[in-house]
Formats: sequence, C-alpha cells, structure tokens
Amino acid sequence: MHALIQTLLIGIVVGALYGVVALGFGLIVGVMKFVNIAHGSFIIIGGYVAFWLFTLLDIDPYLSIPLVMCAMFVLGLLLYQLVLSPLLKYPRAEMRLDKSLLVTFGVTWILDNAVTLLWTPDTRSIVTSYSGSTLDFFGAKLGVTGLAGLILAVLVALVMHLLLTRTYFGKHVRAATEDAGAAALSGVNVQRTYLVSCGIAAAMAGVAGVVIVSSYSIAPSGGLNWLLTAMVVMVLAGEGNVTYILPAGLILGIVQSISTLFVSSSYQQPIALIIFILVLMFRPNGLFARVGR
Amino acid sequence: MLEISNLDVYYGDLQALWGISLSVEDGSVVTLVGSNGAGKSTLMQAIAGLLTPKAGSITFDGLRLDRLPAHRIVKSGVCMVPEGRRLFPRMTILENLEVGASTARKARQETLGWVYEVFPILEARSRQQAGTLSGGEQQMLAIGRALMSRPKLLLVDEMSLGLSPLATQSIAQVIKGLNESRRLTILLVEQDVQLALSLANKGYVIENGRIVGQGDAKDLLCSEEIKEAYLGMGKAG
Repeated sequence: MHALIQTLLIGIVVGALYGVVALGFGLIVGVMKFVNIAHGSFIIIGGYVAFWLFTLLDIDPYLSIPLVMCAMFVLGLLLYQLVLSPLLKYPRAEMRLDKSLLVTFGVTWILDNAVTLLWTPDTRSIVTSYSGSTLDFFGAKLGVTGLAGLILAVLVALVMHLLLTRTYFGKHVRAATEDAGAAALSGVNVQRTYLVSCGIAAAMAGVAGVVIVSSYSIAPSGGLNWLLTAMVVMVLAGEGNVTYILPAGLILGIVQSISTLFVSSSYQQPIALIIFILVLMFRPNGLFARVGR
Repeated sequence: MLEISNLDVYYGDLQALWGISLSVEDGSVVTLVGSNGAGKSTLMQAIAGLLTPKAGSITFDGLRLDRLPAHRIVKSGVCMVPEGRRLFPRMTILENLEVGASTARKARQETLGWVYEVFPILEARSRQQAGTLSGGEQQMLAIGRALMSRPKLLLVDEMSLGLSPLATQSIAQVIKGLNESRRLTILLVEQDVQLALSLANKGYVIENGRIVGQGDAKDLLCSEEIKEAYLGMGKAG
C-alpha cells in the first residue's frame, strides 16, 4: 500500500511538472497554430536564469520566479516579433504549422549554442538548504521541492484559466483561437493578442525551468526531451485546449509512474510515446474532446 | 459618410474589383446587387479591412480606411456582420458579445442592455455556447456582436444565407428598425435581391467587379433589367 501511495505521489508531482512544461507550448499552438520547437530551449533558459540569480545574487529559486518570468516574457516577445510574426503572411493554418516548425528548429540551435557558450555544457542544478528535505504523507515521502512544484503548477494553471475566462485579454485570445479573422472584424487587435500570448507562453516556460532546475537538473541539450513531453501532453489535452493541459499532464505522470510497478523505469519515455500514438489514433482531438464534435 | 472612389482590389495577381466608386449617405440603407462572384463580398471585405486595395480610396467621415487594420476600422465606427456569421462557437453568447465590445469597453453595459432589448433571446440564453444556437439566432448574435462596437455604419454581408424565410423576415425587420429608430447607416449585400431592394433607399448593381448601374432602390426594383437578371421575372420567351 505504501508503495502504491508513493508511486501515485511521484506520478502527481511529475505530472504537474509535465503540465507546466506543456502550458506555454499548447497556448502558442492553440492560439496561433505555430509549433514552437524552441519551447524546450526556453524552459532550459528559464532554469539557467534562475541558476544565475541563485549563484550570483543568492536569490532563492522560488522567489526568483517573478524575475525569471519577466525575462522570459521579453524573450517571448522577441521570438514573436523577429521569428513568428513574419509567418502570419501564410493564411492557412497548416502552412503556418510547417513553416514555424522549421524556423523555430533553427532558433533552437541558436539558443542551445548560446546557452552552451554562456553557461558551459555542464549539467547544473540548484541546491538549497531545503533541497533534500521531505515531508511524511500517509507514510510516503514527498520532497519539499516536489510539493513546491505541484503547488506552482496548480497556481499557474489556475491563473491561466482565470486569465482566459475572466479577462478581456483572455476572451480576445479565445476569440482569436477560434477565428482570427472574425476576431479582427469584431475589433480585436489580433497581432497584439498574439504578441502578448507569446510572451506569456515563454514566461510559463520560465516557471517550468525554475521547477526543473530546483528539483532535477538542466543541461543545454536537455530542451528536446522537455519539448517531446510538451507535445505528448498537448495531444492528450487536445489541440488548443489549454484548460485540460494540467489534467493531461497529471494523467501522463501517473500512468508513467504506475508503470514502474510493473516494468523497469527506463521504459517511461516509450510508454509516453505509446500513449501519444494511441491517442492520436483513437482520440485525435484529445482525451477530453466530446465525441462527435 | 462613406465614400469609395476608383477602388481596385486584387486576390494575388487576379483583379476582382475595377474602379469601384460609390457613396453611402448618413442614415441611409444602401444595397449592392449582383450575381454570385460579381465582387459584392470582396468590396465588403475591402471596406472592413480584410483585403487591402491596390488603388483608390475608402473614406469614412473624412478618415482614410483603406490602409487601416481591421480592428482600427471597427474603432472608427464601421463594423461588419460577416458572411456565414463567423461566431466564436465555443464561447458563450455573452462572451461573443463582450468580444464585440473590444473597441467600446466604457459603454459596454449600456450597449449590452440595448442589444438585449433588440434581441431578447440573447439575454435569455446568454450563458449558452454560441454553437448551440439555431441559424436565425446565430445571425441575431452576429448582428448583436457587431452592434456592441457602437458602429455608425453597419456592413451586413449575406444576412439571409442558410436561414428560413421566417428567420430572414425577422432579421430584415430588425435591420429596418435599427435604421429607422437608431438612424444607423447600413450597407447591405444580399442574395435575395427583392428583399434587399425593399429595405434599401439606394442600390448599386455590380457585374464582374464593376459598377454597372445605380439608382433609387424603388426604381431598381421596377427596372426591367433588374427583374430579368436577378428576380427571375424576365419577359416570357
């Protein structure tokens, strides 16, 4: 029984992180139909910014989150202005998907090499006084950093949900997601909505980076793995369905974690990819899509 | 109020409109009549900012619209009810209306009250998703969404498309009422030529991207050419 609770706890903590990793990625795909391959690199950069703030200025990683988010927000704005906005001249969504895939793949190379130059190829992590401490939870152990990551994930997803449903900006985002032309005809400044969405997506990548560097470790080449995770979670949630990204992340995390009770933990990545393929085959609109819509 | 002069519009290399000139007077209802593919909707899209003209000008109350992005055109007081309605189906009716108020947020509550007065059914179903509405109700919402921007000129593109005759009649009554009671100026593109001309004060006839005729709507309705070409009432034989 303890083993099961422990496994579930690990699954929830990891799954919540998957959710945060995928939120920004899913937002950009949903709103603009752009696939941002550089999302993984953004996560890594967010982690390095927190690492820098911790080593140089002694700022606690969780307290540095607002600073990291601001820095990443600016990076997101730059990505949109320099790289993505020129692609809007392609009217069809499929064309935007293709082109953005190629262009942001190039961006990934530039960013990963820039990160290697700035911070060396070494693996980095942030070790604080509380890093190793755990809490007792019905006999199972829960790491403090894991709990912090879980709380952050829920907070970020909740803020995102409120932003999309309760604010004018959020309604503009959703309108542009459904029909950008109709949104423009209704008076929505679609370009600005895209710009700010890109900034928010990058800021969320930053949050994911902080959680990863505090609980695990980061290296310049690690972005691709996180990108894959983001893609799997987004497909589970359904394209453009930002609300379901955290639940989808939790499902993936828990399934992966429970699988370790039966097979070696080295099969976790293949298991994620098998789920990915199965969902694409049988529920291409995501786990939560209503049948027949 | 709206002045269009010598407008040329292209789709890529293909010219769709040739030297279009027309004017819409303050408080009037003007309709564009023409067969499918004549360029009526193209002209509407150019006015609303979805297409950028290659030559000519579109001026509204002294402001050049032809180089402005669509959302700025809405802010200047020109709003379009697009063909096929183009609602946001996964958002609620209230949210659709709120998006329409993007350029006129201060007066939002007041405008919302007015739109609910015009279309009481929208208030009753305000929390329902727009995609669940019937065709006629969707057209009401599309018009309501456009009204939320407090337009001075309303462009209505193919309002009767896919609607039952009954729903078309009630939408037509609303259009008429908005013009008469609110002095809202309306530019109408409508496949039902008889309906369009009966609502309008003035009509323009478009053929192959060119204006080939214009006049008082009542005169056009009686004109033999119009009857023959668009109303299926040509001379026997």
